[in-house]
Amino acid sequence: MAQDYSEYLAINVLNEQQVVSYRTLSRALKVHVNLAKQMLYDFHRKQNAKKPSSVHATYLITGTRVAQSTSKTNGIYSQDGEDTVMRSSPPIPGSSPTKQTGDSGEDEDIPTRSVLLVRQEHLEKATATFEHIAGKHVYSLQPGSLSDIQVLSDCNRRIVSTYAAEDPLVAWKQYGTIQDPNVKRRTQGQRPPPPVAPPAAKSAVGSKPAATAGKPATLERQASRASDVSISSAKATPEPNGTANAKKSAASKPPATKRQSSDIFKSFAKGGSKAKKETPDTSAAPSPALVPVADEPMGGMSDDDADDTVEDAEVEVRAGSGKLRKDRQAELEAMMDAEDEPMDDTAESGIDSRTEPGPKQQVEAAEELAETMTVENGRRRGRRRVMKKKTVKDEEGYLVTKEEAVWESFSEDEPAPKKAKMAPVPAVAKSGAAAKKAGNPGQGNIMSFFGKK
Amino acid sequence: MAITNGSGDDALLSKPSYALPSPLAPPHPTANHNSSSSSQPFPSLTRQSASYSPLTDFTLPKGEARHYQQQYADMYFARLAQLKPSVEALAAEAWSEFEIASETARKVDRALDVRQGELCWVIGTIYMEMPLKPNILDDIGKEHWIAAPPPRVKFLTPGGVGGDQTMLEDESGRLRLVGGALESMLLVTGAIVAVLGTENADGDFEVLDLRVPDLPRQPVRWEREDGRAAASKQKVEKREEGGKVAIVSGLGISGDAGDTLTLDLLLEYLLGESAGSEDQSSISTISRLIVAGNSLAHASPVPPRDEVGTNGQKKAPHAKKYGYDSSAYNAAPTDRLDLFLSSLLPSLPVTLLPGADDPTSISLPQQPIHQAMFPHSRTYQSPPKSSPAEPGSFDSGTNPYAFDLHGWRFLGTGGQPVDDIYKYVAGEERLEMMEAMLRWRLVAPTAPDTLWCYPFPDGDAFVLRECPHVFFVGNQPKFESTVVEGPLGQQCRVVAVPSFRDTGEVVILDFETLEPELVRIEIFEE
Repeated sequence: MAQDYSEYLAINVLNEQQVVSYRTLSRALKVHVNLAKQMLYDFHRKQNAKKPSSVHATYLITGTRVAQSTSKTNGIYSQDGEDTVMRSSPPIPGSSPTKQTGDSGEDEDIPTRSVLLVRQEHLEKATATFEHIAGKHVYSLQPGSLSDIQVLSDCNRRIVSTYAAEDPLVAWKQYGTIQDPNVKRRTQGQRPPPPVAPPAAKSAVGSKPAATAGKPATLERQASRASDVSISSAKATPEPNGTANAKKSAASKPPATKRQSSDIFKSFAKGGSKAKKETPDTSAAPSPALVPVADEPMGGMSDDDADDTVEDAEVEVRAGSGKLRKDRQAELEAMMDAEDEPMDDTAESGIDSRTEPGPKQQVEAAEELAETMTVENGRRRGRRRVMKKKTVKDEEGYLVTKEEAVWESFSEDEPAPKKAKMAPVPAVAKSGAAAKKAGNPGQGNIMSFFGKK
Repeated sequence: MAITNGSGDDALLSKPSYALPSPLAPPHPTANHNSSSSSQPFPSLTRQSASYSPLTDFTLPKGEARHYQQQYADMYFARLAQLKPSVEALAAEAWSEFEIASETARKVDRALDVRQGELCWVIGTIYMEMPLKPNILDDIGKEHWIAAPPPRVKFLTPGGVGGDQTMLEDESGRLRLVGGALESMLLVTGAIVAVLGTENADGDFEVLDLRVPDLPRQPVRWEREDGRAAASKQKVEKREEGGKVAIVSGLGISGDAGDTLTLDLLLEYLLGESAGSEDQSSISTISRLIVAGNSLAHASPVPPRDEVGTNGQKKAPHAKKYGYDSSAYNAAPTDRLDLFLSSLLPSLPVTLLPGADDPTSISLPQQPIHQAMFPHSRTYQSPPKSSPAEPGSFDSGTNPYAFDLHGWRFLGTGGQPVDDIYKYVAGEERLEMMEAMLRWRLVAPTAPDTLWCYPFPDGDAFVLRECPHVFFVGNQPKFESTVVEGPLGQQCRVVAVPSFRDTGEVVILDFETLEPELVRIEIFEE
């Protein structure tokens, strides 16, 4: 024995006035719990011999108790049960008569073991209620009589907090806890890093994830606009943004401000933004946390404002894995260039919600870029382009029904709807399960230009 | 009452059995306690193990695969289709020569084909028409005006069968059942039965006799393991004899003081730390703990009607009434439960079933409580995507749950089906209701009528295909147990597990005899 238990108990119980249970003692002295119980008993006896009532004890008694009136009745209930109509009917015809242990005093039939915690002053009374005692031991020691016995649960709580660092499978053997030889435990190492990394890694692999393209774009936009128009950035933020697993990242803010200076410049140089994009790519510290940026729900963002913020920002690139950005940029550029011409052609039949005179192509492109979707946890949420029919009256009085692409927010948990969607919709980086279908050429001649991207 | 002290009685009320190192005496050889070697007077015990393999009968598909578009009526039809063959066989056998006044009973295929005055038998689903049953239309209509009435204990119209009617329904139509024979029968909505009788002048079907599907086929002990071994041509390893399983339910951890000490005592008892050596060695034969529901109090995501917005306790008036007020969330109960489990798991494998008050889905089958609720115990669970055949030491199961433990097939619920049946019938005997559930071959007969459930698209998953060896139901008012016997010699041990919070009782079931015994943990009060 490394440490004298009397000393330990004297310190804790008498000096510090704490409650010491056999478990705390066994953990403190690293002994078997049964030994600790004996120690407690010994100390209690010795102390009380020296000075009576200096130390009080609680005991734990196990055994079989005499059938008590409060426990399951020994026949009173069952007799009533037999006679009154209240009892449910004899079971379904076809069943064999079953032995109802609930009727006859089941206490006799079912062996019942009692585990009773009792204070020392009630010990004699309690032992008198036992028919057969299997074991009796000291549970805890405390300096004075316990007013509230619930205080004992505090001991266990202390054990847990103090010895939390111990590995139970290793340390508990010495305490005498029953060991489970087949216990299965996962390694206590880190769980796979939060889903942030995998999508970043995946896209970094080089495949052109149309999905992630738009997301960082929107993200950048909202970051870049921070300096320009606070409103717009506020509006932009609600855009759902996320890669395979959208996670909020507070880190998005700091990098945003950091790059504001270059961003502003970028916002005016649409053509040159490509070059600029590369630089922030490589320069910015890749922080995986940024990739799945703020997953803010798509508010009822008006398309006008969206266009405002969007058209200038274009493809601002935020920090992230460099390759990821580059890929996305290239895609976005390609997409935007392709759409320039057709969009110019479509005069009014253009998107009806876009009322501003701004360059439609940028708006278009921006709109597409803004088409986002959050990762699914079974739900797809976000804004998307939807084909809607609009019927207008021509100059000659003809009603013309045209197919137009309109933005709407959606939230669904079904497999991606089969509706016509704009091509490079930034879907989730997940394997195209969520990928939106490309514009259906058959649906409207306008959209046939965009085709599959 | 003479106290007969066992031999090990005072062993722990004695001086420590090792020699104290004293400055004068030479060091004692047993004073070295660096390891729990054989010099220790107390042996370290190892727990007995039992093979465990869960079944996924009640696991619902995740995410998008779970559909809610189908109608519940389809579930009734599916149930009827699944059980009709067995009822038919039984009924045909029983009534083939049934004669009254030289008229033999004839099987009728559809309920509407019953002709007046003709002795026949027909199979269908029972539907109990009870005005006092919760009615969704009434709920919606009254919701804005009246405070919720206290939930009814029973749905029966008091004062006799005034408003209550029993109907038999199948795909074609309904028959109203009357007759004195019905009084003595246990019937609830959703049970599939065959009734023999005739149509009387009022158009009601007068019942003379009734048959139920009765217990399904029972697998032999170790059937699944043997089957698997045979299929893969492996030798079956030697199986241990003996062993026990502990079943507890209704821990009801609520975070308030006052319930923690009995829980601690239970923990210490199961760990084998408390109690004497004799008890400890018998506790080491307990190979698993099953927690059958209601481990937390007030943790259900949908609080009962009158508690909506109060989170189980009275809230400040300024707190939000509708919606979720996250400031009212109390993490203490889940922490406590997690602590309890993580202290127990290194020593004892645990199976956790959710109950009515637990933080998981409300409708049956309740899905397993998610791993995220147990940050510490999580390491003892298998990772989320692993196959269900290899659970870790800690298995979070569905409600109801079926699994094979040491060769025996166990089926358990957290108590909601039985509690619901209780409301339909006039009797008080829960064991009879549990027996009836087995004979109807339905784990949740009253779903979806008064018990919320998932609209199964491919048939009712609550239909019992194989009879379990042990059927336990948690959160019952008191402990009861019996053995139900079937026509083919099946024997099923039915156990009603009481709520630990109220009674402090733990049921221990022996594997070889399937006999239960009780352990009651109490604190002595004057």
